[in-house]
Amino acid sequence: MTAAAELGTTPPRAMRRDRWWARAWQDGVEPLLGFAIVIAAWQAGSSLSGVPKVLFPSPADVVWALLDLFNTGILVEYVKLSLLHYLTGVAIGALAGVALGLAIASNRRVSDLLMPLVNFTYAIVEVAWIPLLILWWGYGPSIIIVAVAYVVASPLVHNVVTGVLSVPPVYGRAIRSLGGGSWSVLREVTLPAILPSVFNGVRVGAGFGFRALIFAEMIAQQEGVGYLIFTSAATQQTARTVAGMVVMGVLWLFLDRVYLRPLERASVERWGLTSDAGER
Amino acid sequence: MTGRPKLQSALLGLTPFVALVLIWQVAPSVFSYPAYMLPTVSEVGRRFIELTLNGELARSVGASLLRLAAAFVVGNLIAIPLGVLLAMNARVSRIVMPVAVFLQAVAGIAWAPLAVLWFGLGNTAVTFLVVNSVFFSSFYNAISGVRSIPPVLWRAVRSLGASPWQVVRELVLPGAMVQLLLGLRTSLALGWRALVAAELIIGTNGIGFLMMDATKWYGTDTIICGIVVIGVLWLAVDRFVFAAIERNTVRRWGMVNDN
Repeated sequence: MTAAAELGTTPPRAMRRDRWWARAWQDGVEPLLGFAIVIAAWQAGSSLSGVPKVLFPSPADVVWALLDLFNTGILVEYVKLSLLHYLTGVAIGALAGVALGLAIASNRRVSDLLMPLVNFTYAIVEVAWIPLLILWWGYGPSIIIVAVAYVVASPLVHNVVTGVLSVPPVYGRAIRSLGGGSWSVLREVTLPAILPSVFNGVRVGAGFGFRALIFAEMIAQQEGVGYLIFTSAATQQTARTVAGMVVMGVLWLFLDRVYLRPLERASVERWGLTSDAGER
Repeated sequence: MTGRPKLQSALLGLTPFVALVLIWQVAPSVFSYPAYMLPTVSEVGRRFIELTLNGELARSVGASLLRLAAAFVVGNLIAIPLGVLLAMNARVSRIVMPVAVFLQAVAGIAWAPLAVLWFGLGNTAVTFLVVNSVFFSSFYNAISGVRSIPPVLWRAVRSLGASPWQVVRELVLPGAMVQLLLGLRTSLALGWRALVAAELIIGTNGIGFLMMDATKWYGTDTIICGIVVIGVLWLAVDRFVFAAIERNTVRRWGMVNDN
């Protein structure tokens, strides 16, 4: 037996392909097995350790809290509000980022002039603005939306500007020599060239934006899943806090896998210049 | 990129900062708003000097950076070896991966209420959040990095009779290196956000606490100082720490290929 086999490295796929039960186990059971192990260990730890429920609620407590939140309608309302804040923030951030990026990149001199400022604002994490926003606007949903929009917009500006500047000028000239105007250049050359990096930027920004959403909701202290997580612990309902965290994780994975990733992949397939883009 | 001399383009890049500062300075005489909302540049400058001279700024920045550095090192030292080891077994990695994905999605600031319950407000709770953030991000990236190595390479190494250590050194580390580096960078960015956020909400010292504390007495000048310092700190961390890490790991990787 070789050393690598002892380590249990990936066995050849072909060997397993004809055994349907092995595949069913691998695709259907194994992905859930990890969660089952974690939940079992958590339940055992919670009931055997004797730590008070306030400090260490068990999975069963969390499920009850989740059902309770669902039955009282709090869960649905807060998820709706969080999604509303989040989508508004992402939409504003994406539009502002692309518009600002295109404006800055429209002229080489302007972009040389403004890039250091753009890079500096990019370096300031969105959460750092929150104390200032609180002083300006008080605690409320506008802080949440601005924090999300900021974190989506700032890397996008950077992506759009570098994307536009990396397009060889010869393509634009080709369109112009064929009689196209600025609008045609934008539509036929610039946008297709930058869209994959725009969607990539949106997805990365949306990831950071989701954390910003939860944090801003915690600090704005009014509504949403972040508020649920924060306020429940303050009132000793720790199981609700953990339930809120589970909801947050599920919500983000849902948004990421169902919308953001397919969108990014589609943009790469449609407009991407890389030859291996279609293989995935 | 262009042939323009460096000094000239640096001066050009400074122009918008100067313009911004000028606009900000004259803004109160053009627009009317309560003075506490946006103190003038000179007031912010005076506050900055004050905070520097009384040592408050240095203490806060020091506390924050120390926590970030400790959390970054500890989090990665546990997460990367653990992730790589688990992912070297295909079945284990298939079982662990969904859990890693989920935990990475909730890592960081969402743990703040639990951290306060377990450790109370302050240093330990903040450090816990940053470690948590760094750990789950790097753990996920380590697993997905090892998993991204093509099966044919595993088979090649195995058929050549490599020892376990050789598998790690010749295949796993170089093969997962790009993703591991991405993991380091992402974990630092997430850790930094978690740090500032945690200090704002449950901290008792550090740059974030300095700013949040200032909201209680309308210290807009202090807050603006904090925002600028946070921007400059991140630029410095990103440039110096990351340039160094990337240089060293790539160099080490090169040495592995030389053997």
